[in-house]
Amino acid sequence: MTLVWSGLALGAVYALVAIGYNLVYLSSHTFNFAQAQLMMVGTFVAYTGLVVLRLPVVVVAILAIVVVALAAAIEERVAVRPVPDHQTQLVTTLGVATVLNGLTQLIWGGQPLTVPFFGSEDLVSLLGGRVYPVELVLIGLAVLLVVVLAWLANRSMLGIALIGMAEDRDATQLLGIDVRKIAFWVFAASGALAGALGLFVGPKTYAVATLGAALALKGFVALAIGGFGSLPGALVGGLAVGLVESLAARYLGAEFSNLAVFVLLLVVLMTRPTGLFGRLRERVV
Amino acid sequence: MGAPLVGLWRGVRALPSWALPLALAVVVLLLPFAGLGFSATRQIQLALILALLVSGLNLSLGYAGELALGQPAMYAAGAYTAGIMSVAGTTDVLVQLVAGGVVALVVGLVTGVPGLRLGSWSLAMTSFFLVLVLPDVIAILEPITGGRNGLSGIPGPTLLGQVLDDTGLYILLVVVAALWFAFMRNIVVSRHGVAFRVLKQSPVLASSVGISVFRMKLVGYALGAIPAGLAGVLFANLDLYIAPEAFGFTIATTVLAASILGGTASVYGALVGAAVMQFGPNQSSAFQEYALVFYGVFLVVGGVLLSGGLSGLARRAAARLDRSADIRPAPVPRGDGPSPDGELSGLAGASLEVVGLEKSFGGNRALHGVDFAATPGRVTALIGPNGSGKTTMLNMICGFYSTDAGTITLDGEAVQHLPSYRVARAGVARTFQTPNIPGGLTVEQAVAAGRYSTEHVSMVGSVVHSRRFRHVRRADATEVARALAVVGMEHLADAEAAALPLGMRRQLEVARALVARPRVLLLDEAASGLDEAEVARLALAIRRIRDAGGTVVLVEHNFRLVLELADQIVVLAQGAVIGAGPPEVIEHEPRVLAEYLGVTPEDVAGSALGAAAVVVEEPVNSDNRTGGTS
Amino acid sequence: MTEPGRAALAVRDLATGYGDLRVVRNVSFEVHPGRVTALLGRNGAGKTSTLRAVAGLNPVSAGTVQLDGADISKLATHRRIRLGIAFVQEGKRVLHRQTVEQNLLLGGFGHSRRRSALASSVDEIYELFPMLADRRGLLAGALSGGQQQMLAIGTALMTRPRVLLLDEPSGGLAPVVVAEVLDRITELKTTGLAILLVEQAVEAALRVADDVAVLESGRVALAGSAPDLDDLELLRGAYFGTTPSTGP
Repeated sequence: MTLVWSGLALGAVYALVAIGYNLVYLSSHTFNFAQAQLMMVGTFVAYTGLVVLRLPVVVVAILAIVVVALAAAIEERVAVRPVPDHQTQLVTTLGVATVLNGLTQLIWGGQPLTVPFFGSEDLVSLLGGRVYPVELVLIGLAVLLVVVLAWLANRSMLGIALIGMAEDRDATQLLGIDVRKIAFWVFAASGALAGALGLFVGPKTYAVATLGAALALKGFVALAIGGFGSLPGALVGGLAVGLVESLAARYLGAEFSNLAVFVLLLVVLMTRPTGLFGRLRERVV
Repeated sequence: MGAPLVGLWRGVRALPSWALPLALAVVVLLLPFAGLGFSATRQIQLALILALLVSGLNLSLGYAGELALGQPAMYAAGAYTAGIMSVAGTTDVLVQLVAGGVVALVVGLVTGVPGLRLGSWSLAMTSFFLVLVLPDVIAILEPITGGRNGLSGIPGPTLLGQVLDDTGLYILLVVVAALWFAFMRNIVVSRHGVAFRVLKQSPVLASSVGISVFRMKLVGYALGAIPAGLAGVLFANLDLYIAPEAFGFTIATTVLAASILGGTASVYGALVGAAVMQFGPNQSSAFQEYALVFYGVFLVVGGVLLSGGLSGLARRAAARLDRSADIRPAPVPRGDGPSPDGELSGLAGASLEVVGLEKSFGGNRALHGVDFAATPGRVTALIGPNGSGKTTMLNMICGFYSTDAGTITLDGEAVQHLPSYRVARAGVARTFQTPNIPGGLTVEQAVAAGRYSTEHVSMVGSVVHSRRFRHVRRADATEVARALAVVGMEHLADAEAAALPLGMRRQLEVARALVARPRVLLLDEAASGLDEAEVARLALAIRRIRDAGGTVVLVEHNFRLVLELADQIVVLAQGAVIGAGPPEVIEHEPRVLAEYLGVTPEDVAGSALGAAAVVVEEPVNSDNRTGGTS
Repeated sequence: MTEPGRAALAVRDLATGYGDLRVVRNVSFEVHPGRVTALLGRNGAGKTSTLRAVAGLNPVSAGTVQLDGADISKLATHRRIRLGIAFVQEGKRVLHRQTVEQNLLLGGFGHSRRRSALASSVDEIYELFPMLADRRGLLAGALSGGQQQMLAIGTALMTRPRVLLLDEPSGGLAPVVVAEVLDRITELKTTGLAILLVEQAVEAALRVADDVAVLESGRVALAGSAPDLDDLELLRGAYFGTTPSTGP
């Protein structure tokens, strides 16, 4: 059970990345390769704020939100908006991801840094397993975020507009809605979210410059398994990836964990090409 | 531009296109003998290895149109094949090159099939993942790969029993790279290269000229594995030590950056991009920590600014120089070229018969129980209001939609279950509502694409210019010239196809459909958007095709043209045939006027308004969402 | 056009298209408050392209589009909508995955982000289309074609337009539903709305139109007030191209 908890917590991190992918995908049909790197920057800011500067948690949270949202906003203006087609956007956002990887290495070095959790750091027993509080918080956050976002998507005007944009950008524009502006702010908001989450993800994964690449890929897989554009899909996909990865590492050996996830991805794609909850079929032509 | 420069440029342009690359290869080959130091030659070797990798990516990304980042995995496959063979005692590089290429090809095929079968993002995902699991696979196979510590103690390479020294290896590397680029160039300029561009522009177009989209994409992706495998073999023999780190994400991003910088859809752009990356960010170790930032900036700036990459810039610059040097005056395409006068004979048309055709889209019945027949030597026109199912029907004949019920036969042979590219190979050719013409092709090449599946030439044959290749190339030229003459465009053979005005692009599509000597020719609103002169020329071409014995099916809104051209008119409304017959009958058929114009006969006769409006009980969408216009 | 007074929408010498494909070459017409202008012509004549250019979905490559005398031809689509243009696209383009009420609310997005502030406007639409009120919680994708068309019009009205562009509102609808749509159009006309109607079914269009412009090959081939044009032989000529067009 301990293993399951830790797998689910890891899965929750992937789910959080996938949720970020989804927000941007819904608003602009862009796949932001750098989403995981934004979250990684959040973990580093959390480290600097909490460990180096010893700032209060609230201040660190605000700092992380502002820094990462700003990075995302710049990304949108520089690497997404000027690029006409989504294929090239894959390349430019990969470029931003690479820049962020490089910058964090320059600023914080290549060694993993321990980010303390501001809550309790003592193991607790739950359902026959032992689990860190931060892991429970991560799982809870992922679930909560999906519930809240799904509620907002249905109830708030902005949410309704967002779903409208995902379905028919032209028609939404014809209702007097500035779709580009919304796409921009959603991009920035996904950055703010990634920054805030850095405080929770850091304690689980360490702040390390390779974090982005690992999260990006697993987040991507979570998204593919769950289906592009689906928030519950991102959650289920993320948790499934985390569990499979942990279980395979434990029972087959560490070097089989990624392979097991790969197999999971292939199986899901073969049986359901649009993912478990997928509805938006990508136009190939 | 000054006169001497113009003269120089003219001289350069007069050389065959392979002359400059060949000269470059010779110069690079001779560099060590000109006293170039060890570190410089090593940089050149690494740049060439990178160029091979980039070239492979270009084949899949630039030509087959699939973002596939699995290059490092195939690179590793080649490198480990060579390393393991050397350790086991087989040190001959030639043997290793063959083995490495084959192993990489197998890796490409095995990983490409699942990714491509699913389409869209899947290949990008699975190939990316391949790079992630690579270190794990190497670790799992530790007994033979050395695991995470790397494979060391690889003995030096030999060539035909002789030990290969540093200079020898250098020469070998340059020769292998030169041969690969020659191979790649020959493929790209052959009909296969044209097929790749057709595929990238539009899978729908590709299948409608008989290209299997899946197979072609797989070929592009798998072929791209070969240079990666070769690069791996050469790398293993250069360093005599290989470790998993060399095949990680860094190399994947470097390759992608180099590809974009050089231009993904180019042959020699790979060399330029690889050189820039190797001598730029890869260069000094002091630079190392900034390397990632620079790669990233390259990707962003490259993606934003350099559409077409450096090679695109070069091509545009060359075109400008051409103009100022007055080498090949850009043909001014005009609608009033020579009138169509090409002779066309013996088109073996087939009878197309549609019986009881049914099709629903999610509960909306687009077609129910449609019967019609088109016979050789006649023009059969399909008319009907928007959303009556005309384009749906066309797409079903072409195999883009499956039928719910009913049969479609060509001379009695059922084709309704065939995939679209097989229908095309069975002799059905078509044009599109929105002309579908790939960029970067001449009119001649674009038309020749229509013959891709009529005569087969292997890739290898194209590379070595086999007898068959030369025979088909001649036949292509003859047929293309004939088809262009039919539509009156032979004077535009060398013009850039996609840049032609609409009317010419429509004629080009007719020529492309005609060049395969189709048994059935489907024209989807070929006259829409044309002015009167252009319509007249189109009509002339259609008559010529009919008189040669072709079976022509014309979907058209221009009623006057239909009355003028058609031997038989089939009127569709609400997904069913409401009338069929010769023009003089249809013209006066009251139901047709009612459905088509939305007026009742009394109205036409001038009486008062007020009769019930005639409407169409079918979603307008089904017609607009067909593949034909994408 | 015969109607005096200021036009709500004035299109002058409009040219537009997709890429280098010039679909509309030189089109001028006006739409007046409380009147319906019908834009007729056969497929490919440039009707939809004209509407798209007016709404800003296609670039205006020459000429002007004036709303109440102000040139809007350079503005982004959402700005034009907020200034008073509304466009009901062909094919009942409602948002299928959202409820009737959510669709309507989105129409009010430009005016308020608070649902409560939009409640009264939504109720007005329900009064105009009672069948929508009964189905407010249903997904729009589950509505019938006619209901979707009403919803599309209702959503467009939520933007509080002065000019309403309707592209093929009768397309794919049963005769009785078409009659209802036409009734609504007549009703809307009396509120002072200026309506530009594109219709394939000529007779349906002439039942509600006050002014008519017939497009052929991207040009206005024939224009006048609707009663002058009820000689359908003339229209038939314009459609089938059997009479010489009046040229550019």
